[in-house]
Amino acid sequence: MNFTLSYLLEQTINGITLGGLYALVALGYTMVYGILLMINFAHSELFMAGGYVGLGVLKLLADPAIAKGGLSFLAPMQAFFNSGTAGFVALIAVTFLISAIVVGLMGVFIERFAYRPLRHAPRLAPLISAIGVSIFLQNAALLWISSKQLPYSRADGTSFVPAKTAFTVFGVSVSTMQIMIIVTSLLLLAFLDTFVSKTRIGKAMRATSQDREAAGLMGVNINSVIALAFFIGPALGAVAGVFNGMYYGSVKFNMGFIPGIKSFTAAVIGGIGNLRGAMLGGFLLGIIESLASGFISNAYRDVIAFIVLILVLVFRPGGLLGEAVAEKV
Amino acid sequence: MGMGNVRKYSALIAVLAIVAMVVTGCGSTATTGGTSAGKTVTVTIGIGAPLTDGAVALGKGMVRGTNLAVKQANATKEIKDLGIVLQTVEGDDKGDPTTGGNVATQFVSNPSLVGVMGTLNSGVTRVAVKIYKQGNIVQVSPANTAVDLTQMGNENYFRVCTVDSVQGPFAADYAFKDAGKKAAFVVDDSTVYGVGLADEWAKQFEKDGGKVTGREKTGDKDTDFKALVTKIKSTNPDLVYYGGIYNSGALLSKQVKEGGLAVPVMSGDGSFDPEWIKLAGAEAAEGDMASNVGLPIDLMPKGQDFMAAYTAEFPGEVPAAYDAYSYDAANVIIKAIIVAAKDLGADKVTSTEGKKAIIAAVGKTNFEGVTGKVTFDSKGDTLNKTITVYAVKSGKWVPVSK
Repeated sequence: MNFTLSYLLEQTINGITLGGLYALVALGYTMVYGILLMINFAHSELFMAGGYVGLGVLKLLADPAIAKGGLSFLAPMQAFFNSGTAGFVALIAVTFLISAIVVGLMGVFIERFAYRPLRHAPRLAPLISAIGVSIFLQNAALLWISSKQLPYSRADGTSFVPAKTAFTVFGVSVSTMQIMIIVTSLLLLAFLDTFVSKTRIGKAMRATSQDREAAGLMGVNINSVIALAFFIGPALGAVAGVFNGMYYGSVKFNMGFIPGIKSFTAAVIGGIGNLRGAMLGGFLLGIIESLASGFISNAYRDVIAFIVLILVLVFRPGGLLGEAVAEKV
Repeated sequence: MGMGNVRKYSALIAVLAIVAMVVTGCGSTATTGGTSAGKTVTVTIGIGAPLTDGAVALGKGMVRGTNLAVKQANATKEIKDLGIVLQTVEGDDKGDPTTGGNVATQFVSNPSLVGVMGTLNSGVTRVAVKIYKQGNIVQVSPANTAVDLTQMGNENYFRVCTVDSVQGPFAADYAFKDAGKKAAFVVDDSTVYGVGLADEWAKQFEKDGGKVTGREKTGDKDTDFKALVTKIKSTNPDLVYYGGIYNSGALLSKQVKEGGLAVPVMSGDGSFDPEWIKLAGAEAAEGDMASNVGLPIDLMPKGQDFMAAYTAEFPGEVPAAYDAYSYDAANVIIKAIIVAAKDLGADKVTSTEGKKAIIAAVGKTNFEGVTGKVTFDSKGDTLNKTITVYAVKSGKWVPVSK
């Protein structure tokens, strides 16, 4: 094997793509932690739900086999979505929008009925409730959808996003899919960062995160701020779930578990509770995993990723960018 | 401890002893009274297979094969005359050794259960077989191909499929000599089955004169092979060999082709399933190869009869890799139950004595099954060592080896 510059570059691009997915999921963990000091264990299942909702939407909008199977009124719409660049862009945009909204609402619903009643209970109670929700969602997908791994493609086996090379740089071909993931995740991260730091609602979120009771006394509607965090986090997780399905090619009811743990790790590396930290941690973890797999051994990728976690925690216990909610007196 | 305490404790022990005597007493009267002539004895066969996680498509096929055999047996005069009603119970091991151990414990504690048809995964059997041995339960696997499973002194263990030391080299010979592949990158899924098969394959491929350009491990539930594909590509192989199961292997195949490497992926019996083509997509799967134990069903000695009965029982279902083997494995157990019932009487079949007789009878198995002649050597391995290599052509698995 010859380790050339182009090999290093290709592995780095693999890593950035993976890191973009981790960062999107990590934001959900870190937002909830920042505001409620609670780890939302059901977040990995919302990522999974995103994958399934996305597949459902894609099939309805662009799989001719569905239109033939009785839903013939979909056929003209499918003809549009399956034709040319405009149709493709519209298909992707509609898919992400619907998946993000549906899963975002699921997040709000879960917060309302599984976490809010326990807000003043001991810290462990909502944590256990979150594990319960996680198990419930996994089993719901297992029983109501399928125990099988489902291909992320049309019934005839063609992918919704064709595996095409977008451009070649230094002999490295970068695929359309990778560009889509990297650009979308960076845009969403930048948007969220601006949203939280510049807008009035963002300010309310930061205030709630610093001191929930004081923020409430100053007129911030705590319940809607928390509900908003539970909309945005899962919505971003859903985007990652759809990308995960498209990029790797399948969905399964327990697909959220490993990416969930990795993204949580990314949030911890960056400093849990800190939005920029989650993004940094996500990209860092993705790149480290990819390079470890490429230059050392695929069997050791997780070992090396978790060694990095341990090293970060030994030297910077609060994570790379520290904890945003450390000012409680 | 004072005298008062001792008295209190001995009173408690006495009470417990009486309760225990009453309970066991009731139990034994029920057994002696319950099996008079004219009544039927229910005998259970356990099915240990992955049903919600792991190679689900293969696991569900195992259930269908077994249920078909049991349904047919229940309709025969021989079983009816003996006063036996056979039934099956499913145990979902998720392809995971720990869960498989729990399934085994559950099965052993089932009083009417005398034999187990399963498991799919060699790693699961390694744990489960010891538990079955303690319970005197015979285990007949349709699918375990790890070589050492019959070398561990478990006289209750048998399998109707041949092993990786036959399958791996056969597939390697085909890849090198018939398909003309000279340089292969070998990947396994870190399970007992995947590592064993990949090792056997690579050994023979190198012996034939082929070059192994690299060797890597993945996890059996992995879906992300992007970094691995970049690595594989840098070694310029003309074939990728995958030791593992279809659900990860098919995604590896898809990602290999998406990564710009136009070479086929070859795998073993765990990947020989239509799900491989569905998950990878017909376009990416085209040219991929998989070896499987035995002949294609339509070339099997009794394949036509089996398919007729199968499609009548499960309309719309297509047999996966092990349906026919599971059917034969279930029949091995059923025939042994009949032998034991004739020797000892139907009501003794589920006793320890009966279970031991069943193990002995399985060892003497000799009949023409769907997959060929079913007989075992002294260690419990089948004497039928046929392997077939299949390739994906126009979205279907087609046999390609002679």
